[in-house]
Amino acid sequence: MIQITDLEKFYRTEEVQTIALNKLSFNVKEGEFVAIMGPSGCGKSTLLNILGLLDDPDAGSFKFNGEEVAGYNERKRSDLRKHNVGFVFQSFNLIDELTVFENVELPLIYTGVKPAERKKRVEEVLEKMQIMHRRNHFPQQLSGGQQQRVAVARAVVNNPKLILADEPTGNLDSTNGNEVMDLLIELNEAGTTIIMVTHSEHDAKYSHRIIRMLDGQKVTENVLV
Amino acid sequence: MIRNYFKIAFRNLWKDRIFTSLNIIGLTAAFSVAILLTMYAVFQLSFDRFHEQAQYLYQIYSEDSTPNGFKANLSNPEPFAAAFKNEIAGVEKITRHRGSGILVSYRDKQLNMHASYVDPDFFTMFSFPIIKGNTQNPITSGSSIVITEKAAKRIFGSQNPIGETVSILRDEKEVPFTITAIAKDFPNTSSMGFDIALNFKSQPKHAYARNIGRWDMKNHEVYMQLSKEMTPDQLEKSTTDFTQLHYRDEIDNAKRDGAQPNIGGVYKQIRLLPVSDIPFANFSQGKAIINRTMPYLVFGIAILIVCIACFNFINMSIAKSAQRLKEIGMRKTLGANKLQLFFQFWGESILIFLTATGLGILTASLLLQPFQTLFKTKASFETIFSPSALLGLILSLTIITIISGGYPSLLMSRLGTLQSLKGKIEKNGKNFLRNGLIIFQFGITILLISGTLVLWNQVEFMRTKDLGFNKDQVIAFPLNGKRNDQQAIQLLRDALEDKTTIMSITASNNILGFGKDGNRSTSFMGFEYKGRGVNTHMLVVDKDYVETLDLNLIEGRSFRKNLASDSLSVIINESMAKQLNEKEILNTKIILEDSVAFSVVGVIKDFNFQELDRTIAPMTLFALPNWNLRNVYVKVAPDNLEQSFINVKTAWESVEPNAEFLGSFLDENIERTLHKERTMIAMIGSGSLLAIILSCIGLFSISLQVVAQRRKEIGIRKVVGASVSKITMMLSADFLKLVFIAFIIATPIAWYFSSQWLQNYTYHINLTFWIFLTGGSITVFIALATISIKTVKAAIQNPVKSLKTE
Repeated sequence: MIQITDLEKFYRTEEVQTIALNKLSFNVKEGEFVAIMGPSGCGKSTLLNILGLLDDPDAGSFKFNGEEVAGYNERKRSDLRKHNVGFVFQSFNLIDELTVFENVELPLIYTGVKPAERKKRVEEVLEKMQIMHRRNHFPQQLSGGQQQRVAVARAVVNNPKLILADEPTGNLDSTNGNEVMDLLIELNEAGTTIIMVTHSEHDAKYSHRIIRMLDGQKVTENVLV
Repeated sequence: MIRNYFKIAFRNLWKDRIFTSLNIIGLTAAFSVAILLTMYAVFQLSFDRFHEQAQYLYQIYSEDSTPNGFKANLSNPEPFAAAFKNEIAGVEKITRHRGSGILVSYRDKQLNMHASYVDPDFFTMFSFPIIKGNTQNPITSGSSIVITEKAAKRIFGSQNPIGETVSILRDEKEVPFTITAIAKDFPNTSSMGFDIALNFKSQPKHAYARNIGRWDMKNHEVYMQLSKEMTPDQLEKSTTDFTQLHYRDEIDNAKRDGAQPNIGGVYKQIRLLPVSDIPFANFSQGKAIINRTMPYLVFGIAILIVCIACFNFINMSIAKSAQRLKEIGMRKTLGANKLQLFFQFWGESILIFLTATGLGILTASLLLQPFQTLFKTKASFETIFSPSALLGLILSLTIITIISGGYPSLLMSRLGTLQSLKGKIEKNGKNFLRNGLIIFQFGITILLISGTLVLWNQVEFMRTKDLGFNKDQVIAFPLNGKRNDQQAIQLLRDALEDKTTIMSITASNNILGFGKDGNRSTSFMGFEYKGRGVNTHMLVVDKDYVETLDLNLIEGRSFRKNLASDSLSVIINESMAKQLNEKEILNTKIILEDSVAFSVVGVIKDFNFQELDRTIAPMTLFALPNWNLRNVYVKVAPDNLEQSFINVKTAWESVEPNAEFLGSFLDENIERTLHKERTMIAMIGSGSLLAIILSCIGLFSISLQVVAQRRKEIGIRKVVGASVSKITMMLSADFLKLVFIAFIIATPIAWYFSSQWLQNYTYHINLTFWIFLTGGSITVFIALATISIKTVKAAIQNPVKSLKTE
């Protein structure tokens, strides 16, 4: 599903150039659950942004479903992203002014789904995430675990092929963290590809494969059974 | 989707209520004031445009060459109108017009009314529709009159006035007139107005019968309707033979006295002034200069105020966008495109603008009455209830919303997805736009404050200027009763004889300043003196005139108490003495046209008997017994002026029980002549007040955002030892710098416009830097106070708290 070859990304200030990704290469198959680990500043988040089509690499190749997407403009990336990728963030990134229902509905609005269909799909996913009873609440009225459930619901409501999770349990206690990980496993078992950036060895063990990074490069790759 | 945008917009606005309130309050205040000011400007600009034939109606005046340059003359002689229509091609219709106060009696009622003496064409030229009675020729007969609806109500109440007879005092006799028609009340935008219209020939003898056939006696205006086939320019050029024929003596005298012809080589040029230009006409060098500065200035202030409020909105929205970066980033991540985001943010702007517009209209309607009172205007919402004006208003609001709401929305929609998601905003342009807008706002504010200060200083200068007569202790009022003037004055003297506070009583045929009845007139005459033409204003006075008004006699004597013995004496002012140019001015003889010689018995210091912005012209005081003296002057003791006023009023009511007492102190009369300046002060003053309030609202909200953004920096600085005052200074300095730049830019502009405006006044203040420095200092002080509300609070906050927040 994902093939990256010699991927490079630099950050430049007036005087200094920092290499965030240094000729990074790996593949992810459809239906895989991959965990990416490494110390702060090793380039995990940069990688996730590129995989999520939020950012563009400076060099190298990035094939998504066999299609070369490196060098796509913002409009093309956005189009590809909204139909294929779901995001789960450490800080949930829910929009405070929208209710639970409206937050989850948002990706469907931007993909042009009709209101009746939206309602049906949002309710389905809220039921699945067991958060239906909170549908009219605003994010601030929910616990951290509940907020992350909403974020996961929002990420999957469009039935994306790929879910990118950036430290999904980082702001949660262990109970809520485990619940979120169970949700991700459930999604993966249903066929969704998941790439997760994490610091937690415990969470990484839920995945099929762990890629460890340092200074923008892949250092090890462990396949878990 | 749209419903969704508005729902979210409402929640966002509700969430940040301070931001929303500041914006809505600012925009509401600006919109309401802009609506009122626009209404005023449109009202002023629409004066006399309601006449159906307006584009063909002109007032005729002449550009006369005199030894002292060119002078415009709006007065015409009796035979002029008929001869002009007969001899000049292109004159479709013509009418003479003379306005005058008259005393109307009906049964036991006596009313002072305003009359217009006109020719029959008047009602077919001007759109003053006849709604009852003879609609075709209402004033063909000398005894028929037309009255307005309001006047009819005043005289007859609900009774039908058509065919009724009223008496009008003319040449000291009650003359019956029959009401043949009722004219619709004039629109508020008519500069011409009357209660009663009479045939031109129905005037008192001195105004009409005495002048029949005479080309040298000029006392009325003439209006004409131009043929559609002709241009005003063509008509003006075709009048040379006419003036040569009828004004030969006048032209010859001008040549003899050294007058120079105009560019066209003529000494008297007939000119046409469009009726709709009359309210804006000033005369300079013999020509009408049309000056619509006042309404355009007012409209300009309205635009500037809206600009200030919109700049606030733009600045606040951009500053606030920093708080919404995550939302923008998340929406983009989930697939929102630029257009969708633009419409979302623009939806919020529309919501604010629509609310402010609604509230602005409501506030304007609530403020309408005080506005009308303050600016003494009849402008109302009707003024702007025309399809074109409403379209203009809607169009302006749309443009304002598109620009003010659209620009920040565009900026926000163009932010990068990743940067937004990370909460980082790219600082490009180093806040050039924000700073530029703040400089512009404060520049306008300083401009308006300086303008107000200059105006105020000039008005104070004129108000407190020594006018050459006593304006504080003299009560003036018109002789508006049925009695003969001399008899009325004598009875008044008798009635006030035992009052110790009454110091002296006199009368004259002219008023100083504007009387309470709004009337003002002056007589002007010319005569030959030692082979050259001399012009002077003419004032006929009663005994004690010089003493009552405390005029400064610099040579000779005043008129005697026995006025009859001075009937061939005159007192002249310094300007007249200069014009006569005699070494021994006393006992100089001046011989008027009817060969009567008058001897100069005294010279008085020049005094302002006309508008305060005019050079004092030559003036001659006559003591002609039995002359019509229209105004009484009573000098009272300086203590208890109020009681003295009541005494004079009571005495007048005993002399003329049915006449209204229209007395006022001369300083009030002078104040009335400053109406135009006072209105300007009120307009520009309120404009500057609003401008500074709005600018400070903007500054306050920006300081709010800046302090929030620099919270961590403030904390660190405090930890490493910065004092409260240093932090306050640091935070305030950036803003004060902008106000200072605004001052540097605005001051020369304010100086230029102020000095241009002051050129309109013969006597004016000298501009000093202090006036502008005061304007700048007021602005800086208020700006500093505004910023300090937030900066001091931020500076005294516990650094641990701000660091923790970060």
